[in-house]
Amino acid sequence: MVRPRLRPDLALVLVCAGLYVGAAAQARMPGGTALSLAVTTISAPLVALGNLAGEAWEDLWQGRRDLRATLAELERVRAEAGELRRSNHLLSAELAALRQGSRLLAAYPALAEHATLARVVARDIVRAHTILLDRGRADGVRLDSPVLAESGLLGRVERVQEHAARVQLLSHPAAAAAARVVGVPPEGLLVGGDQPRLTGLPPYTQVAVDLPVVSTGSEGIYPAGLLFGTTLQSKLEGIFTIVPVRLAAQPAEVMVVLVLPPAGRSAP
Amino acid sequence: MKLAAAFVVALLLQLGLTASHLWWVLPACQPLLLVVVATARRMGPTGVAWSGLAAGLITDVIGERIIGPGGIAGAIAGAVVAAVVRRFEMEGPLFWIVGSLLAAACSETAWIAAVAALGVRPDHAWRGALATVAMTAAAGLVVATVERSWRAWHSPARRRRRVLRRL
Repeated sequence: MVRPRLRPDLALVLVCAGLYVGAAAQARMPGGTALSLAVTTISAPLVALGNLAGEAWEDLWQGRRDLRATLAELERVRAEAGELRRSNHLLSAELAALRQGSRLLAAYPALAEHATLARVVARDIVRAHTILLDRGRADGVRLDSPVLAESGLLGRVERVQEHAARVQLLSHPAAAAAARVVGVPPEGLLVGGDQPRLTGLPPYTQVAVDLPVVSTGSEGIYPAGLLFGTTLQSKLEGIFTIVPVRLAAQPAEVMVVLVLPPAGRSAP
Repeated sequence: MKLAAAFVVALLLQLGLTASHLWWVLPACQPLLLVVVATARRMGPTGVAWSGLAAGLITDVIGERIIGPGGIAGAIAGAVVAAVVRRFEMEGPLFWIVGSLLAAACSETAWIAAVAALGVRPDHAWRGALATVAMTAAAGLVVATVERSWRAWHSPARRRRRVLRRL
């Protein structure tokens, strides 16, 4: 018995043709809801699985983005905190200067009227024995103007610019001022140096320790009666008494000073 | 047997890729066509065309389209891929990349032609066809990379090197 055998390639062509005819029929008569339902039922768990994977990926991605945003925010907040810390330091310094200025004005109410309040902007108290003020000629500061700190005299203006002035401190080796010890009649000369001292006192003058040393004004720079410092243990050099003086104003701590008008010796 | 398992896995993957939480271009990928490409290594053009026919029909069914054009397109794509692979004796990564690209391009072209001949409005036009070709070719590239890595990992040369290193 002969069995008819169909070549696979021909069978394929025939099947394709059949499919085309079937597709044409489906196109004219749409339907197949049972098949759609079956496909939907089968694909539901797979779609759910896919959604689960997608959600996990989205969560991971979102978490990564959130982490980046959080780190950026942290960096920003750190920078802001640093900026605030710097501002706080500056404001604290400003406040301290204002307080010192306020105390200074309160301590010398009679002098404050014609004086100029100035801020110390630079200081070299070890080598040059000078401080730099932020006020100058434009603010009424003149050459040889006495400079007063809260606790006592500091020095005199030795150089003036339009908006700055340099002050020679009493500790400068070239500094000198007429002074006297309270309770000791004769006047002496206060000279600067590493250890400022009062010289020119009469022979065998007895000076106790811790007595105030004040200005007499006879040198024409410093007004009379302002405090220079206090006496230390005096000593005799030959027949003359030398009195070391502890200066009252500490240049390292001074932030605000009062520049007094010159006593009249120097031209403006 | 391996091809049958791959067919099932590809079918499940093709269904799963339509999940809404996945990247929107992923449903354009046709893993079943990669199985058709894989059969080109073992079968002749007619056998590959039959597998393409089956893959296309299943794609029609799961896509809830008119059943038939996908089968015809799959058969044509299978035959073309098998012929080209044999003619140019393709192997390795080139086999997967060219095979998947060719299968997707032929399948989409034939499907659009068949649907147009039937006078039915297709559910996607050239842009969808382009996405299908691109994503299927990308999947072929991934398969090629995995296969190459697998072969490199299990190669006798590597095994020899490992043994020599232990000596």
